[in-house]
Amino acid sequence: MSIKVRVVERKGRTFLEQLYLVEVVKGMTVTLGHFFRNLLDNSRLYVRHYPEVKPEISPRWRGRHRLTRHEDGSVKCVACFMCQTNCPSNCIMIEAGERFDGRSEKMPVKFDIDLLECIYCGYCVEACPMDAIRMDTGIFSVTSNSRESLLIGLEQLMETPGGFSEVDYHKGGG
Amino acid sequence: MAEMVKLFVNGQEVEVESGKNLIDALKVVGIEIPHFCYHPALGADGNCRMCLVGIEDGRPPIVPACKTPVQAGMKVLLDAEHIKKIQHDVLEFELINHPIDCPVCDQAGECSLQDYYMKYSLDDSRMRVDQVAKAKRMDFGCGVVHDQERCVLCARCVRFTRQITKTGELGIVNRTDAARVTIFPGRPLNNRYALNIVDLCPVGAMTSQDFRFRQRVWFLKKDASICHGCSRGCNIYIDHHREKYKDDIIYRFRPRTNLLVNGYFICDAGRLSYKEENENRQVTSLIEGRQAPFDETIAAIRQKLDQARKPLILISPDCSLEQMWAVRRVSTLYGASLSGFSDAYVKAGDGDDFLINDDKAANRRGLELLGIKTDRKSFIEALQKTDLFVNFNNDLHFSGVDEEIDALLGTVQSIAVCSHQRDVFKTASIILPIASYSEYGGTIINQDYVLQAFAKAVVKNEAGKDMLEVTRLLGGAVIDARHAWPGIRKSVACLADVDPAAIPAEGIKLQTGEDANVGA
Repeated sequence: MSIKVRVVERKGRTFLEQLYLVEVVKGMTVTLGHFFRNLLDNSRLYVRHYPEVKPEISPRWRGRHRLTRHEDGSVKCVACFMCQTNCPSNCIMIEAGERFDGRSEKMPVKFDIDLLECIYCGYCVEACPMDAIRMDTGIFSVTSNSRESLLIGLEQLMETPGGFSEVDYHKGGG
Repeated sequence: MAEMVKLFVNGQEVEVESGKNLIDALKVVGIEIPHFCYHPALGADGNCRMCLVGIEDGRPPIVPACKTPVQAGMKVLLDAEHIKKIQHDVLEFELINHPIDCPVCDQAGECSLQDYYMKYSLDDSRMRVDQVAKAKRMDFGCGVVHDQERCVLCARCVRFTRQITKTGELGIVNRTDAARVTIFPGRPLNNRYALNIVDLCPVGAMTSQDFRFRQRVWFLKKDASICHGCSRGCNIYIDHHREKYKDDIIYRFRPRTNLLVNGYFICDAGRLSYKEENENRQVTSLIEGRQAPFDETIAAIRQKLDQARKPLILISPDCSLEQMWAVRRVSTLYGASLSGFSDAYVKAGDGDDFLINDDKAANRRGLELLGIKTDRKSFIEALQKTDLFVNFNNDLHFSGVDEEIDALLGTVQSIAVCSHQRDVFKTASIILPIASYSEYGGTIINQDYVLQAFAKAVVKNEAGKDMLEVTRLLGGAVIDARHAWPGIRKSVACLADVDPAAIPAEGIKLQTGEDANVGA
């Protein structure tokens, strides 16, 4: 077995570059250019005014989860445990019960997601046969002062609306 | 050993036991023939056609494996194209009206139809007409829930009620795609083995009301154990699971095949006795009603035993042999009298001629072989004389309050070493929690003198100590279950040659003579 060797041309070996001084001046021009641009007109800042200004995120962004509903408001989830089975961080905890609304035989009575354990990989969304769990809320910042409040349950997951239109979601973002 | 015969499977020579059919014989050597309706306990019915195999140069050339006994020199074809086509077509036929609701079906993960589909078919449905709708969620009684749409009409359930329980509650009515399993109007399942139907059903048509939707089967950890519900000692699987942030709990018991003891089934009472292992457990040590650390409680018990003039130790007939031996050693250490009195565990007339026994004690034969007295007279005499009563998990109130004994118990100080919170332990001044049988390993002897070993299955978050460990802390010489055996071997003649590590899965039938019952 021979090792493949590729010779890469080394840059920055010219005389002017070796002097450094010219390069330092070039760099400082950029820095000072930004400085005076910001000093003269604050609104032309190159940074985003987060958190006052939220970033625009793609519908494909894997944000906080939600549980979708049928038109009549009942939960789409049938408690098949596929998301829990597929979850690599074991952050989904479901308890199933009987369902009598004719849509299925089974529904979740408890559906907890530990957001601190979640790694936002989206495997739960991929595993779901009912399109019942989605990560399209557009919530990218999950913060809290207490650990307990980050274990979210069925109600909270069902309450959260989707952050994007159905068309955009299925298009997967432009 | 049965006679062995040589035959060929797909051209390869295998040696199997004679006298069996192809399914059973080849299963032993690891060759699986797909089947729905055949079950070793129910015999061959031959209705599902899934087990059809080819016989090279045979007349007829295609036979159902469940009805074909092995013969020397037979050339069985399993992977020939025409056999594969049969399996594929039978599956397609079974799936025509199957709802394919695996995500909400409890059987998913242990379903023959699902497994065979993945192995032999993997095709999309070609049906373009509506599926036949049948009844779902039918209550068949005895906690059995039936889904007619999932049924493959193998008739295992029907044959079970006819051949095994001989109650015949189930039948198949109508023909072709209108055929369905049902009960007779107003006559639900009514026998004490009905939940075995749920295990027998190869698909999800029969589900248990008790286990329904509680857990997906692939999460469950399946450990072999022995039911302690009666003196039969049926072999079971303990299916348990620790959910995140929760405790390890048992979800169900399932029968484990042991032809020497219980065959293929267990009774419903034993199956549902898993609840006892989850609920009502004693978890804290108490001294005079005050919560105390475990070590302090042990020290208090030692002190009481040291001070007592004539202590009396009562041991539960559910304990393992090793535990009994260890408690016996402790009783001699403290000069205590020892009793295994447990008349309350006998429920006369409750047993039947199949699996259920009158005697609800799991290891009464162990008490007998170790020479521990179990009669009422000697227990009451000892109770009258004693000044300290130590109860090792014996539920004297198993069949209700015994007033004579309760009156005597009221006069002495008592200590309870117990796994569950029960009325009889409430009066004890010191209560020490211990592990129950799903949480320790040991050996027990059933009523027919079959010695069986079982291992620890469940590990609780706050695990109770094994009774053996408690006796060691009380000063006993037995360190663990293995160290009990030299003593047991010496004192019980019929156990003299037993190596506890080498007890086979089906147990050992002990040879007991008259003199074997006398303890050393």
